[in-house]
Amino acid sequence: MSAIHRAPAELKLGLALALILGLAALPAERAWWGLGALPLLLVLAKLSRLPPGPLLSRWALGAPFLLAAASLAYFQLNGLSIGLALLTKSAICLLTLQLLISTTPVTELVRTLRRVHVPEVLCQTMALLARYSELLGDETRRMRRARAGRSLRGSRWLEWRALGNSLGLLFVRTVSRAERVQTAMRSRGGG
Amino acid sequence: MHIPDGFLSARVALGYAALSCVGLGAACVRLRSQRDRGASALLGVSAAFVFAAQMVNFPVAAGTSGHLVGSALAGALLGLPGALVVMSAVIIMQCFMFADGGVFALGANVFNMGLVGCVVGFCCYRLLCGAAPSPTRRVASVAFAGWCATVAGALSCAGQLSLSGAARLSVVLPAMLGVHSLIGVGEAVISSLVVASVLRFRPELLETGGPAALAKRPRNSAVFAGLGLSIAIVALLAPLADVAPDGFSRVTQALGLHSSTSPWLAPLSEYGIPGIVSGVLATVLAGCLGTLSLFGLCWLLALALVPRPARQAEARALVAESSG
Repeated sequence: MSAIHRAPAELKLGLALALILGLAALPAERAWWGLGALPLLLVLAKLSRLPPGPLLSRWALGAPFLLAAASLAYFQLNGLSIGLALLTKSAICLLTLQLLISTTPVTELVRTLRRVHVPEVLCQTMALLARYSELLGDETRRMRRARAGRSLRGSRWLEWRALGNSLGLLFVRTVSRAERVQTAMRSRGGG
Repeated sequence: MHIPDGFLSARVALGYAALSCVGLGAACVRLRSQRDRGASALLGVSAAFVFAAQMVNFPVAAGTSGHLVGSALAGALLGLPGALVVMSAVIIMQCFMFADGGVFALGANVFNMGLVGCVVGFCCYRLLCGAAPSPTRRVASVAFAGWCATVAGALSCAGQLSLSGAARLSVVLPAMLGVHSLIGVGEAVISSLVVASVLRFRPELLETGGPAALAKRPRNSAVFAGLGLSIAIVALLAPLADVAPDGFSRVTQALGLHSSTSPWLAPLSEYGIPGIVSGVLATVLAGCLGTLSLFGLCWLLALALVPRPARQAEARALVAESSG
């Protein structure tokens, strides 16, 4: 836990948004000014004591999408320079976002959104999503393993049907789980 | 379809964020009035379901795989306001957990996949389903709604990219439409598979257009569907109209009618029908024919997925015989 990790989430979210907004406002011919933010980001990354390997690899994971989107920009007047400008800007934005989310727990971010008066229904949905996505992910993996254990081998169509069936079953289980969660919330005075 | 940060200009990103806030706010207000019926946990856990469902990869071909987006499916299972909140929560959390899509582009992403996806998907589903649909009709409608939602989202995404000056509409529109009309087929198949199996396990979950806690009052659903459709159309056409005064020429260019456009538009020439001189007419006709044939395919898919009552009775009789 570094000082960056402990900094208030509002501050980090606000700074990240301001930086990204500033980058978005840069005209294409001055996009390289955005590189000026790079030393700042690197210092912050150093200060937060994040392991550089995972950070870099997650950053690189976004690169194919950026490249694909930037290549669409190529087919216009001054396409190459516009494409390169977009690539620079979005790569720096992605690094900023990566820094933000790897130093801030998701629950903190949801709490921040709640504090700036995002509707309660949405905040509660996001909080429950953060809590239950792991659980349902596990359930999906269990179902997949069970299916593999029953050694379903067949055409691709059969495979799709089996996957669709297990997703349908997952939804049915989701609804009954939600009923139980609702009862639990009620009995604790929430909901 | 997640737009990363840096691609949208500040004006476009803020504009679409405002649009998303309005739509999402309306959904939240509508849900708040229904909250006493005990649906708050359902929304959260359903959002986790969509999240988990998006991680299930379906094998496509040669090692590639696709996955569900789920806005039309959520619309069919949870009703419009519920689906909107669930999809928005999923998109926002994808940004905050995996940096999938930008934080400043969040408004635009929520607009494309949440607002447009859910409104188009839900309205298609409701309009095709009618009041008391047969299982086959329900499955066919959700398949078609899934395809429409995907394509509509891609259209709106292309509009935003071209409005920001990131790419020319004549390039980005055919590229996005071409790719997403294929992705939409996968979405259609998966959504219909899921709905067919929910119909088998617990059909009453689909009876009211959502679990009872989220059910809409039926009397004004047609009005809402009409309203939603018109809003969706306006919202989709807005980016195209905004390039006025040369809006029409941009549109015709986008449809591949100017020979001066780039050679990359070659795939688009497939959309033309020989013998019809007017290019616009040909493209529109070809688009309509394609959509209609896709609807036919959705119907065939539903016929394949939903067991016939007679055959079901036969199977039941067989089971009874063997056990008795």
